[in-house]
Amino acid sequence: MSKMKKMIFVLGIVVSLVACSKDDNSGTNAVVETITVKDLPADTIIGIAPGAPPTGGFPYGAGRYTFFSLETNKIVPASDSASNKWDLAFKGTTIATNSGNSGPGGAGAFVYVGLFNDLKTIPADSSFRVDNAPSAFAITTGSNRGWYVYNGLNQLVTPIPGRVLVVRTASGKYAKVEILNYYKGGTTPAANASDAIKLNTQRYYTFRYSFQPNGTKTF
Amino acid sequence: MMKWILLSAVLSCIFSTTLAQQDTLQGNGSITVFTATKTERALSNIAVPVQIISQKTIQQAGSLRLSDILSEQTGLFMTNGFGTGVSMQGLNPDYTLILIDGEPLIGRTSGVLDLKRITVGNIKQIEIVRGPSSSLYGSEAMAGVINIITDKSRKNTLGISTRYGTYNTADFSVKGSIRTNRINYQGFGNFYRTDGFSIRPNSRERSVAPIERFTQQHNLGFRLSDRTNISLNIRHNSETIKNNITVINNGNSINSIGVEKNEDLNATLQLAHKFNERVKNTTRLYGTQFNSSQELISDNGVPYLDAFKQQFARIENQTDVQVNNKLEFNIGGGYIHETANSTRYDNSTSIKTNRIGYIYGQSEWRALKKLTLIGGARYDNNELFAAAFSPKLALQYKINKKISLKASIGRGFKAPDFRQLYLNFTNTAAGSYSVFGSVEAQKIINELNRIGQINSLEPSFYQLSNLQPEFSTGINLGANYQNEQWHISANIFRNNIENLIDSRLVAYKTGGAQIFSYLNVKNAFTQGIETDIKYRYNSQWSFSAGYQFLLTGDQSEINAIKDGKVFTRDQNGFSRKMNQSEYVGLPNRSKHMANLKLQYDHQNFFINTRALYRSRWATTDTDGNGIFNTNDAFAKGYIQLNMAVGQSFNNGLSVQAGVDNILNYTDVLNLPNLPGRTYYLSISYNFLNKNPK
Repeated sequence: MSKMKKMIFVLGIVVSLVACSKDDNSGTNAVVETITVKDLPADTIIGIAPGAPPTGGFPYGAGRYTFFSLETNKIVPASDSASNKWDLAFKGTTIATNSGNSGPGGAGAFVYVGLFNDLKTIPADSSFRVDNAPSAFAITTGSNRGWYVYNGLNQLVTPIPGRVLVVRTASGKYAKVEILNYYKGGTTPAANASDAIKLNTQRYYTFRYSFQPNGTKTF
Repeated sequence: MMKWILLSAVLSCIFSTTLAQQDTLQGNGSITVFTATKTERALSNIAVPVQIISQKTIQQAGSLRLSDILSEQTGLFMTNGFGTGVSMQGLNPDYTLILIDGEPLIGRTSGVLDLKRITVGNIKQIEIVRGPSSSLYGSEAMAGVINIITDKSRKNTLGISTRYGTYNTADFSVKGSIRTNRINYQGFGNFYRTDGFSIRPNSRERSVAPIERFTQQHNLGFRLSDRTNISLNIRHNSETIKNNITVINNGNSINSIGVEKNEDLNATLQLAHKFNERVKNTTRLYGTQFNSSQELISDNGVPYLDAFKQQFARIENQTDVQVNNKLEFNIGGGYIHETANSTRYDNSTSIKTNRIGYIYGQSEWRALKKLTLIGGARYDNNELFAAAFSPKLALQYKINKKISLKASIGRGFKAPDFRQLYLNFTNTAAGSYSVFGSVEAQKIINELNRIGQINSLEPSFYQLSNLQPEFSTGINLGANYQNEQWHISANIFRNNIENLIDSRLVAYKTGGAQIFSYLNVKNAFTQGIETDIKYRYNSQWSFSAGYQFLLTGDQSEINAIKDGKVFTRDQNGFSRKMNQSEYVGLPNRSKHMANLKLQYDHQNFFINTRALYRSRWATTDTDGNGIFNTNDAFAKGYIQLNMAVGQSFNNGLSVQAGVDNILNYTDVLNLPNLPGRTYYLSISYNFLNKNPK
């Protein structure tokens, strides 16, 4: 009896979800899938430059971006950085787009305040920014300005909830991205974790995204 | 130690079976309070919430520093960061004025006055007034006032007391007084030292560093005539704190030795004259200075020095007039000259000055036999900021001998401090951020902009303007019930705080370094209820309990949540809207705080157990939404249990022993100042006044 009820319940949800998607995507056929990317390295820490006391110096990476294609859900080799093959590039907390002076592509982006699932259609009046590195990236850099907040007391980076990166890809299609975590395994270390843990696990992105292959602004 | 507890338990059993002489509940009528009205008043006639901590209570709790005894009072909790500060009615330590014999202590670091600087060895009583009291005291008295009244004996005394405990914590005091027909002198000296301790495993750095403190206080009174008295009071306090800091840098550890020195000097000259039985005039001249330096010497680095010096001088005159049996008023005025200089200002030799002129008045009208009304106001004209007007109204209604009601409403303010105006600090080590005071910020940033060193100006930059004082409006409604055995009081409070000053990011330098400054940006509220119950079961056993319920928040944050603009994350890490029920309010506040005390007294013996409880409090915004909510990190609620036992002898000798934090509760991250279980033994001897009590 209870099994039966569960079955009906689950079926009900599936039916209503499908129905819902159809209603919302009137005019489009496919339901856009949401992909979660885990532990994407973004110039991970390789050393610490000495600093004056009382602090311990500056951690640094190799200074290399990780290029990523939303279209193919794959990391793109750095040798293809001057091509249209990538959409976003990650280095520390900086997320570059294949646009402006970052790459030859026609990408663009802006940060939307709201929920990932609530963003069903990119508003018509949205303006996509392009990169003007290093001073102005399409996805605003800096703590509490774009997608993350940095806590100076515990040196942890936290993605701000309710922020969606709305991306125009290098080839002019649209995607939405929500950064979920900045640390390996998708878990932020505890505030009192050792410096070693904080340094060794940071700069690994976990994010989810939806890419609309048909060129419309609807997800 | 178990032996001690066992022994005392046995002793208490023996004593409780013997007959003891009747000791009545100490009535309120005999206790006078100064702080609430800036005149001597019987505690039972005070219309605002006032609490008194007696010398006996302080001694029997085994307290050494002011923070020790305050932490055991209802609704107060100690903050740790820039010293040990006190939070009252849910407000930050910045907003409670700390007085010694009616004169303000200075030398706050980041708004916090370190209460560990104050020894309790010569305190007669501590008076705590809750609710805004700027109508009498001016700046800082937003949450309330804590006034430490030092001992002024009326006879010849000489006593020493010494105490030793865990972590080589030693305290030695000598106290004496001489009294003749015309002259009285009271002297006090205290030495305190501790090895400090580390509750952090494998760390050279101590959570409480080794400290040495010396305090001395001298009070000389001279009776010029039956009507005229003159007195001089001098207090000096110095402390040296040493700490070893080890920084692991790329696998190499760098050892640094930090030395912090703080010095306080206070001097008061007071002339009081009674024109007749109804008119009294008091003139007080007060000067104080605070010197602080912090030096860091490391194995391989350049020495680092931070120095801060603050001076405060004030002259005040107050006239008390008793018009008739029903009406009394006090008027006064004064002038304050305050200076500060610091290595953290634009240059350490440039002295910053502020001058304040103020007048205040208060009248007390016993309108009916049962009804007393108090109205008062103060006007502070500040050279650097807008003037502040602080009114207050209070009433007390005695329904009968046992029940009385109190209501008061008042306004408090805190003027921006020198740091918020003049700080010019760049941390070259940690990310090269800078903090500029509001006066400096526009000047410096405009100059940096001119030479092309500013990358971008943040919206907050354009809001930079002359800082305004922070204001609060406080309402307190209370009721008291008292009979031979019971004393129950309850107080409901609400504080609305406007213009709160907070640091904000105002610009980015070309290299990406951040520049912060201070702005009047926030509002907040605190509200709750404080209750205290005292019950004397018989001449030996007494019991007391206190409880505070506290809610805090920021109305604009609540509105943003209602509008669906605040987000948090679900268990998958996906963003979702935050519910209002998840809102916590201000961080570091516990919703529930309670204390319990059980005491047994018999003749010259006592034993007590004191329990303190704090419910969990928010510490870190871990979900990144900038608001404290149930999804964030909390410190666990905890219970601290303390115990003390003591015996006085007729030859002037007293012995006391105690255990603090019996449950050995520690929290490395959130309570770095709380050691595990500690023990102490203290012995005191009175040479002259031998009869105890």
